[in-house]
Amino acid sequence: MTRQAQNMIKYVLKRIVLMIPILIAVLIFTWLLSHMMSVNPFLNKIGATRDRETIERVLRESGYYDPWYVQLGIYLRDFFTGNWGESFVIMDGKTVFQIIALIFPRTLELMFISIIVVPIIAIKLGVVSATNKNKPKDSLIRGVAIIGAGLPIFYIAALTQLFVGLSLEQFTYGLIDLEILGTNNFSLPKPVPFGGVGTGFRIIDSILYNDPIYLFDTILHLLLPVFCMIFVSLSGITRQTRSSMLDVLDQDYIRTARAKGVQENKVINKHALRNAILPTSHMVIAGTAGALTGSLFVEMIFNYTGFGYYMLMAIYGGDYFVINGLLVFSAIIVISGTLVADVAYTIIDPRIIY
Amino acid sequence: MTKMTSTLESSKIYEEQPIEKKGIKGLLKFYLIPGWRNPQFKAREYEIGKLKSKRRMFRRLITPLTITGIVMILFIVFMAVYSPWLTPYNLEQVTRPYHPPDLSYDVPSAIHPLGTTKYGYDLLARIIWGARTAITAAALPVIIGTLGGIALGTFSAYFGGKVDAVIMRFCDFWFALPTFIIILIISPMVGRDLYNILLLYGLFGIPGSARWVRALVLQVRQNVYVRAAITGGAEKFKVMFKHILPNAISPVIIGFFGGMGAAILGFAGIAFLGMGDQSYADWGTDINFGIGHLGAYWTIVWPGLFISIAAIGFMLIGDGLRDALDPRLQI
Repeated sequence: MTRQAQNMIKYVLKRIVLMIPILIAVLIFTWLLSHMMSVNPFLNKIGATRDRETIERVLRESGYYDPWYVQLGIYLRDFFTGNWGESFVIMDGKTVFQIIALIFPRTLELMFISIIVVPIIAIKLGVVSATNKNKPKDSLIRGVAIIGAGLPIFYIAALTQLFVGLSLEQFTYGLIDLEILGTNNFSLPKPVPFGGVGTGFRIIDSILYNDPIYLFDTILHLLLPVFCMIFVSLSGITRQTRSSMLDVLDQDYIRTARAKGVQENKVINKHALRNAILPTSHMVIAGTAGALTGSLFVEMIFNYTGFGYYMLMAIYGGDYFVINGLLVFSAIIVISGTLVADVAYTIIDPRIIY
Repeated sequence: MTKMTSTLESSKIYEEQPIEKKGIKGLLKFYLIPGWRNPQFKAREYEIGKLKSKRRMFRRLITPLTITGIVMILFIVFMAVYSPWLTPYNLEQVTRPYHPPDLSYDVPSAIHPLGTTKYGYDLLARIIWGARTAITAAALPVIIGTLGGIALGTFSAYFGGKVDAVIMRFCDFWFALPTFIIILIISPMVGRDLYNILLLYGLFGIPGSARWVRALVLQVRQNVYVRAAITGGAEKFKVMFKHILPNAISPVIIGFFGGMGAAILGFAGIAFLGMGDQSYADWGTDINFGIGHLGAYWTIVWPGLFISIAAIGFMLIGDGLRDALDPRLQI
């Protein structure tokens, strides 16, 4: 094993150890949030009862009258022993782990295409825009990028829904309504047979259990939300690539490469792009975790029952175990995303050594 | 390059019209009459000064895109300043407790040029009054966030050591949280007041700008003049805010405008999810009103258009400033 790889492993281990205090801070913060919440969660849990004794009994059983350090201690212990609590508003009786297993694959399905497709298209667009600076191509790309960055994502989603879903008769709210395909059917059975093992991803499930109608239905439902996600994240990465590319193209080594007769596309793709790509890659990898917020609006407008949708429903309903669980879960994703980004930098740019 | 051409041009003028020598008479006038100067020379000096005043930055700043952005922002500011004159409705007649007698989600007509929205509020009046909210929502969070970030970031970078470690660990912790969702959770707790939400939004922006300012200050701190000031016995605060900060401030000013665009979008998002202040006319709330009624599409299209105009305007100004002042900067 080389020295650098050893250093790398040491670095990663150190970062993982450093993650624990941050996680505990996040936990304490979520505990504080649930204490300050304007909705009293216990009244939701009890239901319509006005009986004073019942309320008192439930409050005492759930530890409402304990001192704060006991409550915090119980909260931390429950977290590390894997008992994240149960929902009592949005999905009655299900544990937070079950809810995450149910909804997170849906959001991943929505984000997956934009994670894969967007960097490829956006970096290409940014390079084209930078190499044709102040020409019609550049103006067109910049215009589209600025529209994507300046229009709020919920406005784009609402407009797509308005003009595609309402104005075109073949589309009804995000899917093509052709009778032949047998889609747009609310009672479409799930492809996983009773007792079978599902992954939670609709596309993978329908491929595994060979259900083309369900697959087609899923893909058609994904079309418009995915379009919105792509459009918005495309613009940010394009703008970033363009500005860092313009910076690099002014450097001396680019002139040297051109002067010694390197082909133009090699100058662009090898000499310039490799140096310009680091900020972009930061945006791609770290921004993926931040895309949870963007998908919240899209999920809200398209009634796509994913992570952001249930997050909002939990906030509206005051379902505080679910809020805390989802917050901690997304914090874990963001922390590990940053770690992955930092490790990926060494692959993208070999000059960075930890 | 441009600087060189400007000096070339001025030297060309100098060569084209050589000052004709007036001998002793001119010299006597110059010495005896106070304030007298050769008019020919004066005119030439004026011309050279004019050339110099078209400085590099200014010329690069005035690009078509930047002008478009400035016009957009001026339009929004115009609407915000003259809103009582632009619409016959008061703010009270288009906000929450008041119920007008008109139909809700009505089609555009002569009385309501853009139609009506929920509860029969006039949409045009709401949009015009909403410009004030938008300008506030753009300015306040960014001012709070930037000032707090400057203070924290400068302290952190200058003192280093334990202070730095504590502040940076706090920033790490803060970046792990989805800020937008936290604001959604906290905003009902602080009473859904417009200024409370904006204050919250600004406070939550502090760690981001603090980390950024810290990186800038760390760069400037290595310069020789800072060490000279420290050696000369200057006080810590004087070094921080007189020697270091003015040299690190220009990227912050550039980031200010981009941040304003982002703040408008963020606040519109909060209002769209129904967490905004209902006693103010607000474009995000307008879209929230219209989202369940796609048949009345004007209630969505117009407010969104104005959000976009404001956000894109600030972003264009930010981009133009970035290109003019500091093209290497990556925001």
